[in-house]
Amino acid sequence: MALLEMRGLTKIYDQGKIEVPALRGIDLTVEKGEFTTIFGPSGSGKTTLLNLIGCLDRPTAGTIIFDGQELGGLDKKDLAMIRRHHVGFVFQSYNLIPVLTAYENVEFAIRLVNKYDKKEIRERVMRILEAVGLAGLENRKPNELSGGQKQRVAIARALVKEPKLVLADEPSANLDSKTSEEVLQVMAKMNRELGTTFIFSTHDPLVMEYARRLIEIRDGQVAKDQRRE
Amino acid sequence: MGFLARLAFKNLFRHKLRTFVSIIAIAFSVMVVVFARGYVVGLIDNLTLEHIQYDSGHIKLITHEYRDEQRLLPLNYPVDGLGGGGLDEMITALENVEGVAMVVPRLKFGAMVSTEDELVTMGGWGVDPELETAFTGIEDYLVEGRMPQPGRLEVLMGTALLEKINRRVGEKVTIVFNTAFNSLRGVTFNIVGRTKSGIKLLDEVVFYLPLDQAQRLLEMDGQVTELLLVTPDKKLVLQVLPRVQALLAEYGEDGRYLALSYKETSDLIFFMDIAKLIYNQIYIFLVLLACIVVVNTMLMIVKERTREIGMMSALGLESKDIMRLFLTEGAIMGVTGSLIGAVCGSLINGYFAKNGIDFSAATSGFSSEVIFNSIVYPLSSPGNTIFAFFLGVVIVTIACVIPARRAARLEPTEAMRV
Repeated sequence: MALLEMRGLTKIYDQGKIEVPALRGIDLTVEKGEFTTIFGPSGSGKTTLLNLIGCLDRPTAGTIIFDGQELGGLDKKDLAMIRRHHVGFVFQSYNLIPVLTAYENVEFAIRLVNKYDKKEIRERVMRILEAVGLAGLENRKPNELSGGQKQRVAIARALVKEPKLVLADEPSANLDSKTSEEVLQVMAKMNRELGTTFIFSTHDPLVMEYARRLIEIRDGQVAKDQRRE
Repeated sequence: MGFLARLAFKNLFRHKLRTFVSIIAIAFSVMVVVFARGYVVGLIDNLTLEHIQYDSGHIKLITHEYRDEQRLLPLNYPVDGLGGGGLDEMITALENVEGVAMVVPRLKFGAMVSTEDELVTMGGWGVDPELETAFTGIEDYLVEGRMPQPGRLEVLMGTALLEKINRRVGEKVTIVFNTAFNSLRGVTFNIVGRTKSGIKLLDEVVFYLPLDQAQRLLEMDGQVTELLLVTPDKKLVLQVLPRVQALLAEYGEDGRYLALSYKETSDLIFFMDIAKLIYNQIYIFLVLLACIVVVNTMLMIVKERTREIGMMSALGLESKDIMRLFLTEGAIMGVTGSLIGAVCGSLINGYFAKNGIDFSAATSGFSSEVIFNSIVYPLSSPGNTIFAFFLGVVIVTIACVIPARRAARLEPTEAMRV
């Protein structure tokens, strides 16, 4: 069943006198539970595509249907609500809040959902922290964690609200290969256990190794779309 | 959201020094507002009170002619009754006017004392000692001796005046003056008391004597130069004044007598009231100056946390929540700084309200006609402290709207690209 359907997706950045096309009519369908990697050279449009999928930006033309809902007619607030409830983000530079502990950083995302009581929040946060291998480190602040541990916190933050989709933009870029592998294993495990759909944007061959679907973007268009077993 | 408020609080500890500087800037400006407002209000209140006590009462009743020539202290335009009745009946009628708590008679005249070297000019105030004490609290300024008693040739003088004429309490002094019939007369009085008030007029110019003696010596039995009407509160003057004017009209004396509110007898009070309004704007300006520091800090914070704002937006935080987060940070700084400033300002005011600020050196050149106490007592009141506190909180919070809006308007994709 399709989680995402993109038809004729186009994004043109207006930079004063010139217009820069980032995406040129992309047609893509992403099924629920996929573990997909989008790759391509710098400036090919990977991040732009991820931003559009993640409801962070609007296309210049074309449509995106997210879990049966057309995003085109939604206002800023509605898009924020979709992000809040259904999309998790993992960033290259972790983007954790430095004054909050690992627990609080994860708690931040689930608090926004405003669906659970205090006890449930605590149980869910502790469960996800344990699942990503951070049990016992919940009271540490980001500056007391290694790069890999920080990225695990970011993964836990993305997953704690049980989103339909997790978008990871260069999640291994700041990690060594061993830590990258550990982090990817965590995400693959979450994909298997929770059925969460993952879409990565990366240059990293290791990430591509883990992907079950590889989409290559070149000059704002899908150059290759390959599924693996 | 309580969680955002907690986050806002924790964010203040990211750069402790920067937060501290912002809080101190607010605290300093609020402290200055508390002190300046206490000082200005205290100054105006003291000035008004002294004007009421030593010049006008809440309502001053004099003749039209006396008003034109009062600087010369003339004796030929007296207040001596209503519609042919005597002074006592007039005082009783005035005391019966609703809102009049007390009627204080004064008989003012010019006088002089000869020393070995010079002739010292003075102003004599014939007063009812009991009423005068009840109205002005002149006894508080008494540093030696007592008030003169009715029926006796006694005077009370200011310390500086006694020094000028080279006399002490317990000694005698011969005072020369003109009677109402313009005949020169010299009378010897016992000096029974000495005052020190800080008010130049009282310290250097005026001597008190009993009203009955003044009336007898000036040949003005049943006459005074002015009647001061006292109301329970100066705010009641506007209600009481028309009743007094109606009483004068009832006796057909409105063409002869003039009833004036204390504001009408002093230009200074009018200007001070305007000054109060101007100062209120200056206080806002003072806090705005501190806001420059806070807004600058907040703008730096927004710039530094641009990626973080983008991340929070990506997590689903709405623009209004981001705005609230930054406003809360600003408001916490505003509340903390204003609280510290209000407490410090209040302590400083409390100290000076008790001990006063002595401006004797600066005011020594003032004319004695200006009734101004050279020791200024700032007003130390909870109202003043609360006013400054809320002024600080409200202005700082409003000022923080600028950086907060900037943060809230950041597009997540733009913010994350930084």
